[in-house]
Amino acid sequence: MNDILAAVVNQVLIRGQFVVLLYFLGVNGWYLILLISSLLELRRHMVLITDESRHLLLSSTLSPTISILAPAYNEEATIETSLRALLALQYPSLEVIVISDGSKDRTISVLTEKFDLVPVKTIYERRIKTKPVRSLYRSSTYSALVVVDKENGGKADALNVGLGFARGELVCAMDADTLIEADGLQRMVRPFLYGTNVVATGGTIRVVNGSEVKLGRVFKTAVPTNLLAGVQVVEYLRAFLFGRLGWNRLGGNIIISGAFGLFQREAVVNAGGYLHDTVGEDMELVLRLKRLSYEQGGPGKIAFVPDPVAWTEVPESANVLGRQRDRWHRGLADVLWRHRKMLFNPRYGVTGLFVFPYYAFVELLSPVIEAIGLVSLALGLAFGVVDWEFAGLFYLTAYGLGTALTAFTLILEDLSFHRYETFRDRALLFCWALVENLGYRQITVYWRLRGLWKFLRGRKDWGAMERKGFRPVTAS
Amino acid sequence: MISQSLLNIVMLVEIALLALGVGVFFAHGVWLFFEEKRLSRLTKSARDSVARLITRGHINVEEMQVLQLLPNDVQVLAFLEISRNVSGSQKERLRFVARQIGVVDRARKLCESKRWARRLRGTRILSRLDVADPVVLQLLADPHPAVRAQAAEWAASQPSAPVISAMLTLLADPATQARFAVQNALLRMGGIVARPLAEFLESQSGRAAEAGLRVAESLAEPSFGPPALRLSRADDIGVRVAAAKLLGAVADAAAAQRLMELVGDDESRVRAAAAQSLGRMQHWQAGSTLAERLRDPTWRVRREAGLALRALGAPGALFLRRTPKSDDRFAADMAQQVLDLPTAAAG
Repeated sequence: MNDILAAVVNQVLIRGQFVVLLYFLGVNGWYLILLISSLLELRRHMVLITDESRHLLLSSTLSPTISILAPAYNEEATIETSLRALLALQYPSLEVIVISDGSKDRTISVLTEKFDLVPVKTIYERRIKTKPVRSLYRSSTYSALVVVDKENGGKADALNVGLGFARGELVCAMDADTLIEADGLQRMVRPFLYGTNVVATGGTIRVVNGSEVKLGRVFKTAVPTNLLAGVQVVEYLRAFLFGRLGWNRLGGNIIISGAFGLFQREAVVNAGGYLHDTVGEDMELVLRLKRLSYEQGGPGKIAFVPDPVAWTEVPESANVLGRQRDRWHRGLADVLWRHRKMLFNPRYGVTGLFVFPYYAFVELLSPVIEAIGLVSLALGLAFGVVDWEFAGLFYLTAYGLGTALTAFTLILEDLSFHRYETFRDRALLFCWALVENLGYRQITVYWRLRGLWKFLRGRKDWGAMERKGFRPVTAS
Repeated sequence: MISQSLLNIVMLVEIALLALGVGVFFAHGVWLFFEEKRLSRLTKSARDSVARLITRGHINVEEMQVLQLLPNDVQVLAFLEISRNVSGSQKERLRFVARQIGVVDRARKLCESKRWARRLRGTRILSRLDVADPVVLQLLADPHPAVRAQAAEWAASQPSAPVISAMLTLLADPATQARFAVQNALLRMGGIVARPLAEFLESQSGRAAEAGLRVAESLAEPSFGPPALRLSRADDIGVRVAAAKLLGAVADAAAAQRLMELVGDDESRVRAAAAQSLGRMQHWQAGSTLAERLRDPTWRVRREAGLALRALGAPGALFLRRTPKSDDRFAADMAQQVLDLPTAAAG
């Protein structure tokens, strides 16, 4: 019996190893193209922003009004600081809409007390169907502040309600725990002012774990010493600095982080707002906007701003991280399935012919291929079909190029914004880049496979997320 | 099976790439550390020299020679930093020193480069130093929009007739970046552009007219009245909206009369803009017309009409207080919401 099994494993390995290795080399080869593309894009971007008079130009009365939509659920402990940081953002024409999504704690009471809120007649422009709004408040002190109290319906529903109250030409969707750089909006609005056909912009999100935070702003950046958080710093740098930036130049961004994105309000409302019945509502909206621009005309460019504009806290526990990655992958599968009509469809231009297939065959299916490779290797070892030396070499070859590319991403960061300045930070970053492939990446393969499985079974729950809280400034 | 030698070759290539990446990463870190120290030291010295040169009553030739010996990038950095904080005679002296040590000449050469990135850099330096140089004027017609936009920024501090004329032509620029920069620069030029802009608007339509109207709205000069009245009858909705807003800024009797007509326009965006303008100019005679607009089928128009009534003061408040008893629920709700708004939020 064992002989038969060994023969089968042998055959699978012989036939499969080429596929797996070619897949790895193909994917990493494509990453190399993205890296070169992002290098060119970053160079162009740095030329454009070096010594530009951003404050002069963007503090103009001609700048478009931005409505920030900030959904909040049970945020009584942090809402005051977060909101003060939002109201203090450096932008000439700003409106902040806080949407309490059925909070069960004292979120509304804290807001009322700290921001002099008064209730006003609850009516709004309801072009998108949402859960009922309970009450509406305006501030006697802050003219730009609107607070909405609604029944619980999730983040997508809260954002849709916010769209009904927004008066700005642009809306900024964010997470309650996102920390925005003081001049983040000035940087994010640039593509709308400078380009035609832009419907949305996304910015680089950085990991805040390990950094010091004061009054809702990142005060001092540092690479975290926690393994999971540290590895995610490297992941985020890679995803934003060469993933999205690379696609930006190739004309095909379809992802804007839900933590911080800027959209044309009319385009979002006309598209029907955020979908409720998906866990990938951010990507779904962006892909829908893109798709509608091809089908109906109108603006459709998704621009990416490489400047670090916002910071987010990432999970430091394996359970929470696992739930997040599982949800992200379910979201990806769901969104790609909903818009499967775009796959290899020339009607959708670059998006249909290149970007969509990339997300389907690389991003979505990579855990499957990677799992097959890893399991085959383990079986090969177990049945003595391959020796340890070959297995080790195969493993290192498969992951080696990825590690080299990560090192080049770190160089990109260093050449452009270099927010991690100390030798300690550099050493840690490099260390996390190496460690990433020794267990972490394989665990994410499992989480993503679990997400794929749950998608196939029709699961659409979010899973509980826990936050550790920001690290305050230490006295020196 | 894949041959081990093939894996070895791939592996070697990857190791080489990784070693290169890591080497560059750390080497760049070390270089950056020393470069920042060097730059910081040299820039401080350059900054101090420039500051002394522009604040003292006479030009110290020796100090100028010391400055000239510093690397070009350090000189430029110091000049750009100081240029943000000086104006008037000190800026004049700053330009003089920059000319003497060759910063201006080098920037001019950059402006003549075939590469857009260099032209942009050159224009930025000349803009920051407010150097009146014809080479930048030519760059208002540059093929690259970023360079045109930068040249427009330069033009803001050079409000001569040929510059204003070239800038007005650029209001029709197809690139948003350049158009936005031109609008902004015209605004910064201030009242001096009022007359040429009014004349320009008399003969324009479409995108250029809309862009010009937005500038005119912020400048709010009475001379914009006639072109605003003409353009408020344009076919283009965006132009009519911008004209309605400008009429609110001009705020004379003819503007008020035209706005009362525009409140009944077929397009809701125009009605909303007209209502907003009537509120802005506090034209109390528009009270009953605005109260009627509280029954408008479009939310935005109802809202602007409500806010405009509130802006009218006592006469508008009277209309608003009567409306909650109205049989039109939409009008009643909107009036109630506007009445509920705290003063800070009613603007």
